[in-house]
Amino acid sequence: MAEIIEPFEFKQCISILKSTGKKAKNLRELRDVIEVVSDECIFHHTYQYFIKGHVLEYTNDFAHWAGESLEERALSEHLSNIDPYDFKEINDLRNQLLAVIDVYLKSFPEPREAMPGDEFCFNETMTLIFPVGIRAKNLAEFLTAIKYVETGSVYYHFYEARIRLGGGIDDFSRWIEDAFGKRELAERIRAIDPFMHNLEGIREHITEAVEEEVRKDMEVIDRCLTSI
Amino acid sequence: MFNQYLGISPKSDLLLLQMFAAKLNKRSFLHINSTREGGGVAEILQRMIPILRELGIDARWEVIEGDSIFFDITKKIHNALQGNPEEITKKMWQYHYEVNRKNAEKLNLEADAVLIHDPQPAPLITFKKTGLWMWRCHIDVSNPQNEVCDYLMQYCEKYDATIFSVAKFAKAMAIDEFIVSPSIDPVSDKNRELTDEEITETLSKFQIPTDRPIVLQVSRFDRFKDPIGVIKAFRIVNKYNDCILILAGSPATDDPEGEIVLNEVKEYAANDPDIYILLLPTFSDKDINALQRIATIILQKSLKEGFGLTVSESMWKGKPVIGGAVGGIPLQIIHGVTGFLVHSVEGAAFRIRQLLNNPEMAKKMGDEAKEHVRKNFLITRQVRDYLSIWYALENKGKSILEL
Repeated sequence: MAEIIEPFEFKQCISILKSTGKKAKNLRELRDVIEVVSDECIFHHTYQYFIKGHVLEYTNDFAHWAGESLEERALSEHLSNIDPYDFKEINDLRNQLLAVIDVYLKSFPEPREAMPGDEFCFNETMTLIFPVGIRAKNLAEFLTAIKYVETGSVYYHFYEARIRLGGGIDDFSRWIEDAFGKRELAERIRAIDPFMHNLEGIREHITEAVEEEVRKDMEVIDRCLTSI
Repeated sequence: MFNQYLGISPKSDLLLLQMFAAKLNKRSFLHINSTREGGGVAEILQRMIPILRELGIDARWEVIEGDSIFFDITKKIHNALQGNPEEITKKMWQYHYEVNRKNAEKLNLEADAVLIHDPQPAPLITFKKTGLWMWRCHIDVSNPQNEVCDYLMQYCEKYDATIFSVAKFAKAMAIDEFIVSPSIDPVSDKNRELTDEEITETLSKFQIPTDRPIVLQVSRFDRFKDPIGVIKAFRIVNKYNDCILILAGSPATDDPEGEIVLNEVKEYAANDPDIYILLLPTFSDKDINALQRIATIILQKSLKEGFGLTVSESMWKGKPVIGGAVGGIPLQIIHGVTGFLVHSVEGAAFRIRQLLNNPEMAKKMGDEAKEHVRKNFLITRQVRDYLSIWYALENKGKSILEL
């Protein structure tokens, strides 16, 4: 009897923004609020940066604001270099953000204030997760689905999953490895750098990798030739 | 009606709406504002209420009544919240409250969820009977007159939650503050595809020539929309490029200053044959749609703006929009991608010239603009957000909800 394979159920998440009412108009204020603001707020401005179809110049909202509003390019580079997936606790990530800002404040002249109306607004989100009604039972179905699910679904399974699963693992690669034992393909998906692509770019890379695998599985002629 | 959004709105939004429809079936959702026609709020409600009803939610829309004294006071409150110097006396606040008290006696305020729009009916919270009450602020309160804002906040903090259009408008408050952008309805008369005949009909009605590029601003005649600044920018452009300017707007019943500003604009235009000032009657949606579709470049050169829905309307028609970098406009216009943000008359003039001289760039920006609106600013997303907030408030304390 054939082994029963658990289908991949595509889900998606949407976030409704919530304001904390806290704002910062300069770097010192930013630092002081980061120190006390909720974990949800730090989470939103770092991990959830990727849901926005991010500008590849930056990797979190703090770096974005430092670069665009304060025009402190070096600080923005330092902040962008922080990998939120390196930390098990939000507080550790918070401390790293503070450490980078503190070093900068000690080493460089005090940055100017942001223009009025351009203050950093500290937000959080309320997130809704829901199934999108698409299930893939095999790699070919998965390939079709990944091409047309919305980017919110790619975010949920590729980025959000890294927080749930840890160890740089996403839902797609885990299913591919668990269901089909295709470790090589799983590793190829895990090797896609989450910081270097926007959601459409991530989708393209996954599609390319899976498409190649599906084609390889279909091409019996190659195997015939090898056995001659 | 719901089916009309298939193939237009993002599929996930439609899916979520159906999920909420099942969860909130037959429950009541009351909206209250201060005008049935004119302005973005009334426009959204006209379209949103039927959608909610079709989803099986018992949605109602009530409008508070007031005399001219009341609306003069609320206009002053509105202006003060947007940063204009205005004096609101204790007696005026009392009048504001009294008019709301009288409305509370007449209106049925019972509902599972109540959404109060803008400051005019904000004191109604004092008469809350049942349900979850949310106060929705549609205006730019990023730099208000603090005294006026603080007074109003006394009402707002009695609500279960507030909703602002843009994060920077939110205040430090002890209640939940959600951020929900307003939206446009892609199947309404104002935004649906038009036939060539329909467009020609509008052009001949207003005798608008099509032999030259058209620069358009659609908005009510309000100083915050800077119609005079638009004319100044147009006069700079006209030295280099032969084009015409259309300033089109409808009056709103809750805006007593409209006529004064219109006269100022007419005087400043000084019968320039290249400037068309159109005071459109309320419900001129199809004409506005036609004007936006025929325009080469569309402006929204606001100095203060709650959100500026006309920006999304214009972007939805695939037009490059030049907007003031205020309020919610930067959320819609990604500078250099879906349009241009400007900070001055000169900036507006420069960007108009740039787009007039680069039709390919204008076309690319227009295409990007339409997709940006589809993903973020259609009415189905806004209904989704309101229902999500209602659902979240009923599941208070959870920041992640799985449906």
